[in-house]
Amino acid sequence: MGVGAADLRRWVGAFADTVVANEQLLTSLDSAIGDADHGGNMARGMKAVVAKLDADPPATPAALLKQVGMTLISTVGGASGPLYGTFFLRMAQSVGDADELDTAGVGAALRAGVAGVVARGKAEAGDKTMYDALAPAVDAYDAALGGGELAEALRAAADAAATGRDATTPLQARKGRASYLGERSVGHQDPGATSATFLIETAAATLPAP
Amino acid sequence: MTVGLVVVSHSRALADAAVALAREMAPGELPIEVAAGVDGGFGTDAVAIAAAIGAADRGAGVVVLMDLGSAVLSAELALELLDDPDQGERVVLCPAPLVEGLVVAAVVAAGGAERAEVAAEAAGAMAGKLSQLAPAAAAPPAEASVAGVQARFTVHNTHGLHARPAARLVALVREIDGPNVQLRNATTGSAWVAAGSLSAVATLGVLQGHEIEVAATGPGADAAVEAVAALAARSFDEPGGRPGGGQESHFPAPTGPESGFPALPVPLAPGVAVGAAFHLRLAAPPVDDVPLGEPAAERARLAAARDAVRGEIRAAAAAVGAAEAAIFEAHLLLLDDPELLEPALAAIDGGTAAARAWADATSTTATAFAALDDPYLAGRAADVRAVGTQVLTALAGPAAAPAVPAGAVLVAPDLTPAQAATLPAVAGVVLGAGSPTSHAAILLRARGVPAVLAALDVDDGILLAFDGATGELAVDPAPEVLARFRERATDQQERRHAALARAAETAVTRNGVPVLVGANVGSAADATAAVGADLVGLLRTEFLFLDRPEAPGVDEQEAAYRAVAEAMGGRRVTLRTLDAGGDKPLPYLALPAEANPFLGLRGIRLAARWPQLLADQLLAAVRVAHDTPLSIMFPMVSVLDELLDARRALEEAIAAEGRGTPPELQVGIMVEVPAAALKAEQFVPHLDFLSIGTNDLTQYALAAERGNAAVAALADPLDAGVLRLVDAVCRAAGDRALVAVCGEAAADPSAAQRFVRLGVRELSVAPALVAETKQTVRGLDLRE
Repeated sequence: MGVGAADLRRWVGAFADTVVANEQLLTSLDSAIGDADHGGNMARGMKAVVAKLDADPPATPAALLKQVGMTLISTVGGASGPLYGTFFLRMAQSVGDADELDTAGVGAALRAGVAGVVARGKAEAGDKTMYDALAPAVDAYDAALGGGELAEALRAAADAAATGRDATTPLQARKGRASYLGERSVGHQDPGATSATFLIETAAATLPAP
Repeated sequence: MTVGLVVVSHSRALADAAVALAREMAPGELPIEVAAGVDGGFGTDAVAIAAAIGAADRGAGVVVLMDLGSAVLSAELALELLDDPDQGERVVLCPAPLVEGLVVAAVVAAGGAERAEVAAEAAGAMAGKLSQLAPAAAAPPAEASVAGVQARFTVHNTHGLHARPAARLVALVREIDGPNVQLRNATTGSAWVAAGSLSAVATLGVLQGHEIEVAATGPGADAAVEAVAALAARSFDEPGGRPGGGQESHFPAPTGPESGFPALPVPLAPGVAVGAAFHLRLAAPPVDDVPLGEPAAERARLAAARDAVRGEIRAAAAAVGAAEAAIFEAHLLLLDDPELLEPALAAIDGGTAAARAWADATSTTATAFAALDDPYLAGRAADVRAVGTQVLTALAGPAAAPAVPAGAVLVAPDLTPAQAATLPAVAGVVLGAGSPTSHAAILLRARGVPAVLAALDVDDGILLAFDGATGELAVDPAPEVLARFRERATDQQERRHAALARAAETAVTRNGVPVLVGANVGSAADATAAVGADLVGLLRTEFLFLDRPEAPGVDEQEAAYRAVAEAMGGRRVTLRTLDAGGDKPLPYLALPAEANPFLGLRGIRLAARWPQLLADQLLAAVRVAHDTPLSIMFPMVSVLDELLDARRALEEAIAAEGRGTPPELQVGIMVEVPAAALKAEQFVPHLDFLSIGTNDLTQYALAAERGNAAVAALADPLDAGVLRLVDAVCRAAGDRALVAVCGEAAADPSAAQRFVRLGVRELSVAPALVAETKQTVRGLDLRE
């Protein structure tokens, strides 16, 4: 059984729920090293995504991912808008006109999305950004793919994302507004890596067909 | 085509303020789009940026200026979202700091530069600040320099020698005329340049605090250096320039609706208009590469074009406030600047066409300006290009009027009377300058074109809706607002239909008093449009006399008046004799230059100096009067002798025609001078009617000039003082003479009611308003 539009819809819904439930957490993380808008921005964007998907449910994985990306671009406002938006748009390009994705297809889409984030944000590993959670996640996914099980690969990716997120705490930010703080950004967990970890964790929880 | 600009910011307020600042520096039609904020809060939206790029691109591409963080990311993403994928190649994301970069980009783009140049200039926008704040590089030792009298001074002006102080300096040096005066920037160690050339002085790159050396040789060298030093000590007569003068704005104080401060729209001409905005703009003039004649002829063509532009610039300067006029002063100097003129003339002598020679010379100088580090000096490129284009336009000859799409709402800074009189079918007009009594407004009302006065900053195609009677205006209205405007338009249309259905009937008040309703016309076509008019209450004859080298002859005048009479089908025509002077000078009358033409030689006062002009006109009128009911009305009468003299001239015309007095000929005067209104009883025994020109009477009584937006609100025809003057005329006339009102106020229902109550028995209005004015009269009850 592959991953279809309905599965992706479940993932996006779960990501939205998690972001909304953790809005305060994301905001407080961002208030320490940024402009305290990450929780609010992401919650606003994901609520808009869910409303859009409910109003006009896309039929194919590509259409759904594209709609998620376009909505985020227009509603988030902060840097996460173009970054998450690009993530989903590149995923949409990667899946093409497939009705269902196999495990390799999901991996390819995630990697395309992460590549888009890198291209957009020019971030490198250790810059204390969402990339520090996403990069180890796709690497772990690909490593686990040998087993062939989507659930296993996503579980490995989620664990790697969480490890990467935790590792951002001692880093000094080199991108985004947090970089203005210089050394003062050390000792705080990165809010972008935190929300990116939610993204992979909710994928692990929802994408394997129930 | 102009490069478009897009401003991307987290904050809508920041973006709007930055754009306002940039527009101060680069007024005009520059397309600047804003993509800022998300949902009323901070943020950026790549989809909105893509749309803004689409809107700003007029074909020459777009330069995008951004604030920080997601603004850059969203702008990059926007390039992937453009509707037209090829458009991405015409977009430059400029790394300049937002505010500095935008100001420079706007000035350079308005000057006609290409997008790469705009982006490069904007990216260099920090240079001015850096050189100001960084420790100055050690100046090289002064050269042995030129001989002659020398002096040295420090420039204290906030922005250094930018356009206005530089223009002042150049003007002074040119006035002195004699010694050879040169300048150099000692701080930067520049070369010596001619002090009489604005463009040369500007290349010195003089910033605040720089030391300037001046040297002069030849006769009067001492006085010249002294004068320049004195001007420098006065900070070049610039208010913001004095040392310790505090923070002075470079920008002129707001002076009116064009100041950038949104003023409430002022109603100009009634009616509801809904349509897409369309700016009246002129196309770039063609540059002819092939000389039409020998170098001497081409030189003469260039000289004639520069003369024509000199006249245009002076007229434009006279029409604006003193603060803005300084800019035109700089333009006048550029017109004669040897840095432009000499290369152009040299090229012409080498066989180049005048237009090509001038275009090359101005473009070279403009590029040199644009390359300067200081944004204020770089901005002079726009001045050079503006003057360059104006001369090229004059060389190209009269251009075809731009095609205005039917149904559009025309947006223009102002309209000349000719433009207002010849507009195609537009839904309405939004003017940036003027007043309800300006000639443009009068002409628009006469044509039934709704109009308001408002400072609008909208792009072509944006939907506008306004009510020219109330001044309400909506830009890009919400559906429910739009529906309200359309509903109002429908109501008015229905009322108009009802009025037209009864237009031919006499207008009688509810208590049985008949009131004549006439039309104010300037041509037979106007008379035809005056459906239901009982008479022509005012035939303006100026249109026959304007824009021609010689006065019209008797036969020509007779034919024109007869055509109006025929269009009226036997109803009375009230012919006003020539009301030229003041605002409407005639080439064949050597009208003296007057400090205050509205209080000068105009109207009947002209007849004393040019009696033949009146004699010809009266002879033509008498001939027509033998065949149709005609009234002759003398304008601007102040004293009884003027009327008696004019009547004598009329008797002479009747005698010259030799057919006796036409039986239905009537004689009257315009009452515009307050003194004439107050002593109307002196005139009454000598005339059949008095017609009150409320426009002029109001402006003279309240000392508020028509066309001056700053005092337009004072010029209220319902002011108690004006109404007393009307009352005085009515009481003096009694039953012995008819009192008419032929000013604009006659069409205003509340004013018309007051006038009729005071005893006015004829209202003469714009042709389009005759039917509705009759309905107004029918609703009156003088017993109430």
